[in-house]
Amino acid sequence: MLKKMATFINKIWSAAPVATVILGVALSASLFFAVRSAVFFVAHPPRSERAQTVATWMTPRFIARSWHIPPRVILRAIDAPNPPPDGPMSLRELAEYRGVPIAQVIAEVEAAISDFRPEKPAPRRKPGAKGEPAND
Amino acid sequence: MTETVFGLVTEFGAYVIFVSAFLSCLALPIPTSIMMLTGGAFVAAGDLSFWSVGFSAYLGAVLGDQAGYLIGRTGGTALVERLSQSPSRALVLARAKTLVDQRGGTGVFLSTWALAPLGPWVNFVAGATGLSWIRFTIWDVLGETVWVTVYVGLGYVFMDQIASVAEIMGDVIGLLVALAMVAATTFWIRGMLRAKAERRNLETQEGVALPPEKVMEG
Repeated sequence: MLKKMATFINKIWSAAPVATVILGVALSASLFFAVRSAVFFVAHPPRSERAQTVATWMTPRFIARSWHIPPRVILRAIDAPNPPPDGPMSLRELAEYRGVPIAQVIAEVEAAISDFRPEKPAPRRKPGAKGEPAND
Repeated sequence: MTETVFGLVTEFGAYVIFVSAFLSCLALPIPTSIMMLTGGAFVAAGDLSFWSVGFSAYLGAVLGDQAGYLIGRTGGTALVERLSQSPSRALVLARAKTLVDQRGGTGVFLSTWALAPLGPWVNFVAGATGLSWIRFTIWDVLGETVWVTVYVGLGYVFMDQIASVAEIMGDVIGLLVALAMVAATTFWIRGMLRAKAERRNLETQEGVALPPEKVMEG
């Protein structure tokens, strides 16, 4: 079987060397991406487990939608201008705008979330951790 | 990555989506797919309107494709050769040409969304090989409509899972492009084998030896 394969490869190699190489690479790549896709679907945790921590790059409306909370609740809690003066405003930009530390804004958001949805509090980030969402 | 892209959109709004779509159609390594997903997420959050995101992306992509086509047409083969100096680019360029030659408009259409990594190269080659501008534009516009709809749509639906969506889309598109290349190289190799067999038949029939074939590009 191996001998037949070797003969076959030799045949196509002599007919079209560059194309044969590309074919080999393309087949490997196909397998690579196919495996990755399969792993993704198998290993992806179900939706309910994916809880996002509040991150500094998020906008108030994004947080509201993510936690299924009316936007005005969040906007009010963090004293955000509505509409924002210069396009969407992330929490970090809002902290600068208000002149308060970002940690305070995040605390306000988390408090608002807990108040509105006491049964499903926002996962607390470890202190000092960067504002990265948990499932990134 | 998601954080950076989100930051860019909160700072610059829909303009950055336009610029990103435009530049990526000129083969610059910009993660426009993530940018588009992010745009969709912002629409879902209510921070940006669907029209500003969709229009920016669409206009950027179509204009970028037009620019690529124009560069191919004016710069012609010389520029295409210079751009394909790096071996990996040359490979992709050769594949793009085959696609354009065989299927013209369909090739352009598919390269805007399903085989998006090949897109910029198809634009250059379409211009350089003289594919009619009208044919190019019609199929390009249709394809970009699909691309914008799919990516902004996915961003909208999966607003808070952008990174995951970007990952799986990358894998799916990568798989499609790889399969397309398997198909194309198989076609080429079979053609070459057939051509060689025909040469051998000719030699035996005529009873003469044909001059040895120059080693052609495989």
